[in-house]
Amino acid sequence: MHEMSLVQGLIDQLVALAAEHDKQRILTVTVDIGPLSGVAIDSFQFAFDILSKENDLTSGASLTIINSPATYRCVQCGYEESASVRPDQCSKCQENLLIPEGGDAITLNQVELE
Amino acid sequence: MCDSCGCDLTHTHTHDHDHDHDHKHTPNSQVIEVHQNLLAANDAIAASNKAHFEAKGIVAINLISSPGSGKTTLLEKTIERLKGSIRIGVIEGDIETDRDAQRIRAKGVPVIQLTTGGACHLDAAQIHKGFHLLEHEPGGDQLDILFIENVGNLVCPATFDLGEHQRVVLVSVPEGPDKPSKYPKAFISSQVFVISKTDLLPYFDFPVAEARADALHLNPRLQVMDLSSTTGEGFDAWIDYLTSLHGKNHPKAV
Repeated sequence: MHEMSLVQGLIDQLVALAAEHDKQRILTVTVDIGPLSGVAIDSFQFAFDILSKENDLTSGASLTIINSPATYRCVQCGYEESASVRPDQCSKCQENLLIPEGGDAITLNQVELE
Repeated sequence: MCDSCGCDLTHTHTHDHDHDHDHKHTPNSQVIEVHQNLLAANDAIAASNKAHFEAKGIVAINLISSPGSGKTTLLEKTIERLKGSIRIGVIEGDIETDRDAQRIRAKGVPVIQLTTGGACHLDAAQIHKGFHLLEHEPGGDQLDILFIENVGNLVCPATFDLGEHQRVVLVSVPEGPDKPSKYPKAFISSQVFVISKTDLLPYFDFPVAEARADALHLNPRLQVMDLSSTTGEGFDAWIDYLTSLHGKNHPKAV
């Protein structure tokens, strides 16, 4: 349910960007939602579909969601691998304790406006 | 919106874009690279909260769990045990009512109740406001440890940094041992995992070792404790942890 407040924050940011660049309409928005961000992508999209319609600037904007992987570092051998889904064990030494790094951000990457 | 509220989320959004796609780029269209975290506004306030806590010599602890895991009872017993040695203040987060704040106030420590009016988590701005209110409560301007009891929810609070130094996630025995695997974010982002209500272990199927291993699998740096606030079993490790946090913060006082 926190996706609603995240999307509201996104819309506020888009409105500020449009004002800053003297634009009237947001065309496309690209957001990177990491696999460890705790955000449900369907819920985020759903919130965007609803909230974007409430503002003339964002109404009709299309949202593209990308899902960059996280990095998992093995506590035993230090091997690092990127993955969207947590690996069960280190692919080098089979240790099953892996420390996740990154993958927890929700980033507004790119906006196209006119 | 909520995954558990039953709304019909049947759309799957497969969006291949292999068709010719006229985006109607106009001469005025402009692409801006932003690369800014959506939580940047929250995180900036959280950083300011943390600086404020540190300037006042306070260690802040964010307590996260499902409703009914025993966060408030843990706080009540903690206050009883640390009374006279460590000065505790509490910010309570709930959707409605100040019942938790009343329970904490009855223990004689400064407390502020934040009611979110429906929101499923606390954010840094609410803590900023709440902490300033707490400072005006009797004893609220001189604290060693600030507990922030988040809204009962194992999902949403995990995403929002409040400016805390330590995040503690609780799972009670009746909830079952599979919570770490089902709700990984709360466990990945915490420093401490408390298994609470261990006095109920004889009545529930809760393999402590399995819950511990699952949590450590997600986050090998997690410190795991099991305790019962009711019987006091395992409580010493929790008190030692808090005392050591306080000690690290005030090396000269120890």
